[in-house]
Amino acid sequence: MIKVEHLYKSFDGVPVLKDISLEYESGKCNMIIGASGSGKTVLLKNLIGLLQPDSGDICYGEDKLSEMNYERQKALRQKIGVLFQGSALFDFATVLENVMFPMEFFTDWSKAQMRERARYCLEKVNVTGSEDKYPNELSGGMQKRVGIARAIALNPEYLFCDEPNSGLDPYTSILIDRLISDLTKEFGMTTVVNTHDMNSILEIGDKIGFISQGSLLWQGDRHTILKTECKELRDFVCANTLARNIIEGR
Amino acid sequence: MLNKFLTNVGRYFLFLKMVFRRPEKWKLLWRQFIIEADKLILSSIIIVGVISVFIGGVLVIQTASNLENPIIDKMYIGYMVRESLILEFCSTMIALILAGKMGSNIASEIGSMRITEQIDAMDMMGVNSAGFLVLPKILAATILSPLLMLLSLALGLFGGWIVVESTQIIPPPSYITGIKAFYNGFYVFYSCFKMSLFCFMISSISSFNGYYAKGGSLGVGRSSTQAIVTISILILLFDLIVTQLMLY
Repeated sequence: MIKVEHLYKSFDGVPVLKDISLEYESGKCNMIIGASGSGKTVLLKNLIGLLQPDSGDICYGEDKLSEMNYERQKALRQKIGVLFQGSALFDFATVLENVMFPMEFFTDWSKAQMRERARYCLEKVNVTGSEDKYPNELSGGMQKRVGIARAIALNPEYLFCDEPNSGLDPYTSILIDRLISDLTKEFGMTTVVNTHDMNSILEIGDKIGFISQGSLLWQGDRHTILKTECKELRDFVCANTLARNIIEGR
Repeated sequence: MLNKFLTNVGRYFLFLKMVFRRPEKWKLLWRQFIIEADKLILSSIIIVGVISVFIGGVLVIQTASNLENPIIDKMYIGYMVRESLILEFCSTMIALILAGKMGSNIASEIGSMRITEQIDAMDMMGVNSAGFLVLPKILAATILSPLLMLLSLALGLFGGWIVVESTQIIPPPSYITGIKAFYNGFYVFYSCFKMSLFCFMISSISSFNGYYAKGGSLGVGRSSTQAIVTISILILLFDLIVTQLMLY
């Protein structure tokens, strides 16, 4: 479980996150949603420690992120898998080497064991036959899949996905969403997905937090989001034709 | 401006502290060292070789045209060419050339990894990204660059010999006698030391600029240019300082 308590973050005096308090549960797809520029990515980067909050706490289980020294943060990060918006696959490595990368650092497995595990992860995300290709030879959807395979390579307890559907066609987006949801349930991970894609929200949002202008305005799940009374969230949801039709009963 | 300069100096030393943290696995450091040695040093051999041969030839002609006095022995031309190559050309001039080639290569490689979040991905895995990406580059450049200096010296002298043989500007035996005369091994050590120091600066400063690049592809280009300008100035400054400390 991840707990966020009264989190504040600003850049050059401009507040970006204001008093955010949330809890993310294990075995669920927890979503951070909001319009572009609302502070979703800043919140995600604070959660994974790439940015330091001005005040407030982020707790992984009982441990506060701000009180961890370098070694403890390093140990925690080995339990975290991250799928970045642009996949962030290493250009210098093939697909298989990308997935093997964290294993090379943090396991004592033989090359054969690493290859076997990497192939298993690639099979989980339905990428086979592309092990020797370089990232620039893959489509956007394939890159995302490989990114997920790399993120789950060390059986993480926590999985963070930043806009996993950006730049993908609707069909591939749904496949990626389902993949994230299935892996979350299969491995019992605490998954946090940062998105503004309504299809994803309605498809896999077990727990949803809506952020607008840096403030958390609403929390719920995919079943209650369409019944919300929160005006900002209603406007956000109704920007999607399907969701608007459901809300308006058409 | 002074504030920005001091901030950058401080960040540079903190960056070096990150780079020289104990590697996660020595085996991976060794593997990366071999890759970087190939990328940074072996790939520079051709440009260093070509430039050295031509400069050696030019130095012979220029020195000969300035020493036409009949009472000065022609072998001094060979001697002066050798000393010019050892003391300044093979270390400082080659380092300035490498600043462009190696520096832009490193800054743009690391910079594009930064803006495509590849460095963030490494950090998130718990990998010391600065150590993994930068330490092998610094080690390869610093340890192996004296070999480039020695190669440049040999090829510079060879270039001079080609000109002497083909133009007979001075008698070839005088040139050979000159390049063997009054040999001082300390000068070679001094030149190797300078080369190592300059290559340490090239690899670390360009890595630093790339590592903190921001602002998309324009930012990568800016960081690369900034790295080369900074390195070129520092090479000239440290050339002066090291020469004063070691030779005077």
